[in-house]
Amino acid sequence: MANQSKDTAAAAVSGFFKAIGGFFSSFGTAAAKGDAFVKLSLLWWGAGYARRKQYVKAVIMTVLEVALILFTFGFAMDYVPKFGTLGTVKPEKVFNMQTMKNEWNDYDNSFQILLFSLFSFVVWFAAFVVWMKNVVNAYALQKKAEAGKHINTFKEDLHSLKEENFHITLLTLPVLGVVIFTLIPILLLILVAFTNYDQNHMPPTSLFSWVGINNFLSLFGGGGLTVSFGYSFVRVLGWTLVWAFFSTFTTYIGGILLSLLLNSKKTRLPKLWRTLFIVTIAVPQFVSLLLVRNFFSNGGIVNTICSNIGLTGFLRDAGLVSTSYIPFLSAPGWAHVMIILINIWIGVPYQMLISTGVLMNLPVDQLESARVDGATPFQIFRKITMPYLLFVTGPALVTDFVKNINNFNVIYLLTENVYTTTNQVMANSQAKEVDLLVTWLFRLTQDYYNYKMASVIGIVVFIICAIFTLVAFNRMIKGDKEGTYQ
Amino acid sequence: MKLTKKVLAPVMAVAMAASSSVCVSAADDTITLTLWGAEEDQDLLKELVAKFEETYSDFKFDIQIGVESESTAKDTILTDVEAAADVYAFASDQIYDLVNAGALANLDEYDEAFQAVAGKSIADVKAANSESSVAAATVNDSFYAFPMAGDNSYFLYYDSSIVSPEDAQSWDTLLAAAEAGGKKVGMTLSSGWYNAGFFYGAGFTTDLNEDGTTVMDWNGTSASGITGVDVVKSMLNIAGNASFQAVADGDLSNQIAAGGLCAVVSGTWDASAVQDAFGDGYAACKLPTFTVGDQQVQMGSAFGYKFIGVNAYAENIGWAAVLAEYLTNEEAQVARFDARQIGPTNLVAVESDAVKANLAITAVIEQSEFGVIQKVGGKYWDPAQTFGENIAQGKIPADDDAAIQEALDTLVEGVTAPVE
Repeated sequence: MANQSKDTAAAAVSGFFKAIGGFFSSFGTAAAKGDAFVKLSLLWWGAGYARRKQYVKAVIMTVLEVALILFTFGFAMDYVPKFGTLGTVKPEKVFNMQTMKNEWNDYDNSFQILLFSLFSFVVWFAAFVVWMKNVVNAYALQKKAEAGKHINTFKEDLHSLKEENFHITLLTLPVLGVVIFTLIPILLLILVAFTNYDQNHMPPTSLFSWVGINNFLSLFGGGGLTVSFGYSFVRVLGWTLVWAFFSTFTTYIGGILLSLLLNSKKTRLPKLWRTLFIVTIAVPQFVSLLLVRNFFSNGGIVNTICSNIGLTGFLRDAGLVSTSYIPFLSAPGWAHVMIILINIWIGVPYQMLISTGVLMNLPVDQLESARVDGATPFQIFRKITMPYLLFVTGPALVTDFVKNINNFNVIYLLTENVYTTTNQVMANSQAKEVDLLVTWLFRLTQDYYNYKMASVIGIVVFIICAIFTLVAFNRMIKGDKEGTYQ
Repeated sequence: MKLTKKVLAPVMAVAMAASSSVCVSAADDTITLTLWGAEEDQDLLKELVAKFEETYSDFKFDIQIGVESESTAKDTILTDVEAAADVYAFASDQIYDLVNAGALANLDEYDEAFQAVAGKSIADVKAANSESSVAAATVNDSFYAFPMAGDNSYFLYYDSSIVSPEDAQSWDTLLAAAEAGGKKVGMTLSSGWYNAGFFYGAGFTTDLNEDGTTVMDWNGTSASGITGVDVVKSMLNIAGNASFQAVADGDLSNQIAAGGLCAVVSGTWDASAVQDAFGDGYAACKLPTFTVGDQQVQMGSAFGYKFIGVNAYAENIGWAAVLAEYLTNEEAQVARFDARQIGPTNLVAVESDAVKANLAITAVIEQSEFGVIQKVGGKYWDPAQTFGENIAQGKIPADDDAAIQEALDTLVEGVTAPVE
């Protein structure tokens, strides 16, 4: 199976490169073998269409070309030439008494240079693809004309967008959205990781510049970041993975057990119970989490009750607590367990909903025949219910795990302003024992404006998530399992 | 040159004295300004802005008021300095980061314009406010913000039915009185803002370098000849006392309301909560002294102010400076005290009977003598918080000098770490 998945992965990769290679070679053929108008299309995008009497297309392509030229010289060239240095001119001003205003020089803003250069690169890349595709199209039109085939009018082209080319119509907006809202920010994040953008290099007053892979070196023990960054990173990463594992599997198993319980014929009023559990979903998470946080705080209601019934005293006598309260959310160990427990309470209803849906579609014939064969309920659960559930909810499980690695809400809302680390070495890196990479990252950027290291950690988190997702999906979904349940 | 009579005379005087061609034209253009202030200040700001527009009625203004808490101003402004408000209120501890990022205008540079319009100089404004507030608004010998309020510090509230005014003078007598009364004394130790009071009182300092790193000498010996280890021992003794209750940062109000306390270290923001809890016994005074060896050391405190500053990238920066001063002048500070019981920095406003009748503000002014402007960088807070939490939980043994010294060394190492 491992071989098989390797093969498919290799096939996908080679297929991707073949497609790119094919595109380039067809462009080469078109540019070399095309007639004068196809060759003219290299300069004037509308030439090929104009020759074949597709005047509307010719106009559109010309307008696009003019827009690109305007964009390039009116906008992009203000920023892209400075991309190598990220700006050199610092702001300077002269106060004008007459107008009571400052007159500024034309100063550079490193962040704008970075962002707008990146935007220009994306636009240029898109334009480059369009330019090549355009020549290929022009050549195809020439071929059609030579073969005496019908050449679409603009109306027919438009119509085709509703018929055989419907996928283009459907995908244009989403692809644009992905590029603008996902691709550009991610690329920006990656670029920032290679700069010294932080508190001491804040645009517009200061400029920041490229520092190569220094940030990565300092993260992985090259020194220079904080006195204990490596120490903290290892511990934060460790808890992140432990948390992701336990939070995912406790809610998963809990949800399945709960839904089995509710689905059981012996349960009375299943609808009532189900509704009650779903009510927890209806309350916004931050409200319920902040409430729970207050319940379990050092001076909170749970602590008051525990000390009134003598539990606190008992635990102190047993040597489990050294403080006058039970540090539910304020000491390592205690807080770790509590967070996972509270997360079960928050997360189980969601999982219950999913499992209920799956359980209702459980193949009844298999269950029946198992029962006829004399299988115990536990055997049925282990051999039929569980494998089926795992197969159907496997992808969701993987996604959950990745989501939990980045589960900001639960950790931040439960521990911020409540949990104080007593580990001085961690505190020296602004980290706490209960921090996930993402909450630590948030504090490093939000409180300390350390954008460059935030980017580096962001990239590392991304790599961890990507590797895990790839491996897990390959293991869970690939192979012949799909056939088993059909 | 068209100016109202009110400002004409000083303008001429200044113009002659400076013998420069000062000329602010009453242009037809509307002067647009944006102003950010606290949610609770909005009504007051609207009033003051209306008065401001009246005062300079020869000019056309378009002043937009937005909401931004003084405590979070820095974060919002540094996100995009150029898009932030022209005039904004902020807490004094943010001034170094704001100056460092170039988000605050150096007001000295606009003295001339300021004189031409407002009829007073920056030096006049400095002289009108308390010396320490002006010092807090000064970075590298330049004046960066106008002091607006001067009560951002902590002092001792106590219930005089349990703790006598004499008992409130030292931690030892205070804790003894609390024990006798069966109640506790509450203080936040797990915060670099509160726990620094012990060190500042003993003569230790913190300072800020130009590159944003912090200087800290707490692991050595202070100017008063007290070692950091001795201060920590004293803190551990207080924290270990059965009548002391270490309160988590931000949890003070709850603990006051819970009713188990007979004295609490807090600030003016808790005044009404404390008044409700202590009733007729409500009293306030400076912080108590603590015992180091056989001497009593007066506790210091981190003293903070509220400022109004001018964005260095403000379009109408001259007018922004004039507005910022107007919102912090004597009348504005009196109005602010009347509206919100906020302690003024203006020397005339401080002396008013109404201010003197306010117990909490009197106490904070009494404490201001021992107040220190806390100069620290961003790397200070987490290590100092953790250090305080270790003391609160008694994680450091009070009789182990070497362990205390090691904890102090680790603290200093973290606080003084380079800003990457």
